Amino acid sequence: MKGEKNVVEWGVFVASLVLIGTTLAILLLDAFRGESKPTDIRVQLGGPIQRAEGWAVPVTIRNEGDETGENVHVEVALQRDKRDVEVAQVTIDFLPRKSEREAWALFRENPDSGKVVARAIGFERP
Amino acid sequence: MTHNRPIVESLQEYGRGLAGGLLFSLPLLYTMEVWFTGFIAAPWRLLVYLAATFALLLGYNNYAGIRHDSDWTDVVVDSFEELGLGLVTATGLLMLLGRLDASQSWREIIGKIVVEAGIVAVGFSVGTAQLGTGENEQEGRGSETAASVSSQAVIALCGAVLFAVNIAPTEEVKVIALEVGPTRLMLIMALSAALGLMILYFSSFARSEKFSKMESKSQAFTGGVITYGIALMSSAAMLWFFGRFDGCSVELAVAQIVVLGLPATLGASAGRLLLQS
Repeated sequence: MKGEKNVVEWGVFVASLVLIGTTLAILLLDAFRGESKPTDIRVQLGGPIQRAEGWAVPVTIRNEGDETGENVHVEVALQRDKRDVEVAQVTIDFLPRKSEREAWALFRENPDSGKVVARAIGFERP
Repeated sequence: MTHNRPIVESLQEYGRGLAGGLLFSLPLLYTMEVWFTGFIAAPWRLLVYLAATFALLLGYNNYAGIRHDSDWTDVVVDSFEELGLGLVTATGLLMLLGRLDASQSWREIIGKIVVEAGIVAVGFSVGTAQLGTGENEQEGRGSETAASVSSQAVIALCGAVLFAVNIAPTEEVKVIALEVGPTRLMLIMALSAALGLMILYFSSFARSEKFSKMESKSQAFTGGVITYGIALMSSAAMLWFFGRFDGCSVELAVAQIVVLGLPATLGASAGRLLLQS
């Protein structure tokens, strides 16, 4: 005697079809857009916050490219008269395409005493 | 006469599937290299992976699935269900483990879920079929097709993937492949082939009489070669998916295939016997 599917099983099947269809559609759209912009790192800084042993500057590192960057090194420098007086470094293990990561750059001196600039200084292609 | 299966029975089946899915996929859900593959892999590679997973589910459900009275429509429906449940389970667990959050792009999120969902889905299929008491279910389809080479090849492929996929994404495969010389690689090949032959034809493993019966030495040799071939092929496919061939020489690629071929052979032989009732 063969058991037919009940309402729960049909529900699971229809929900699965919708899920798989949506996932496939997203991947297909992404695949056929054909964009292959190399890793493109942008760095944005927030306002400094005083901590017990200095100041912390929030750093948002974003990859606008279509390839993941590995070991992304970012340098954040406190400058006075266009000269670096203190430099902090941030390293991100992986920065996926079109994604961002948040980090903090730590300074002993008050960042408001000069100008804080940030730049990506290197990354690997995984 | 047909009747609707009781809902409790369906829920029990999903429970077994969930247990199987977690049993086989938890190591991967806790592995960084697998999360990384989710956002490093290009979308077309994820599509190939999804298609391969679905093909594996179709194969397993057809030859060793839970219902022997099922036709191809049931096999396809079950496979869709398992893949869908795999996607849901992988999403839930990745969220629980803090691997998905709002700061990530949808590409990163989808990639991670798809990579994890594939193996959860295969685990779901195996768990549903193999973890039951057998009281409520008919005998598996494997019983009808025990002698079929194609059925055993498909289940060997499932076994190889389920067992070796926990090792394939790790850096250690490349390290071993880089450090062992050609002599040791040949010894690894010999050990892999010998283990496959021993498990399938010599050591009287449970169910080996049924699924790998040896009628002649040449038949055992052929069976061993096919099993090892499947192990090497599945190793190559897994390493390719996890990006282990990217930027490496042909020699290193082959060495990695041989290194991963050892666990894959265990999966294709001992795993194959465990995956079918």
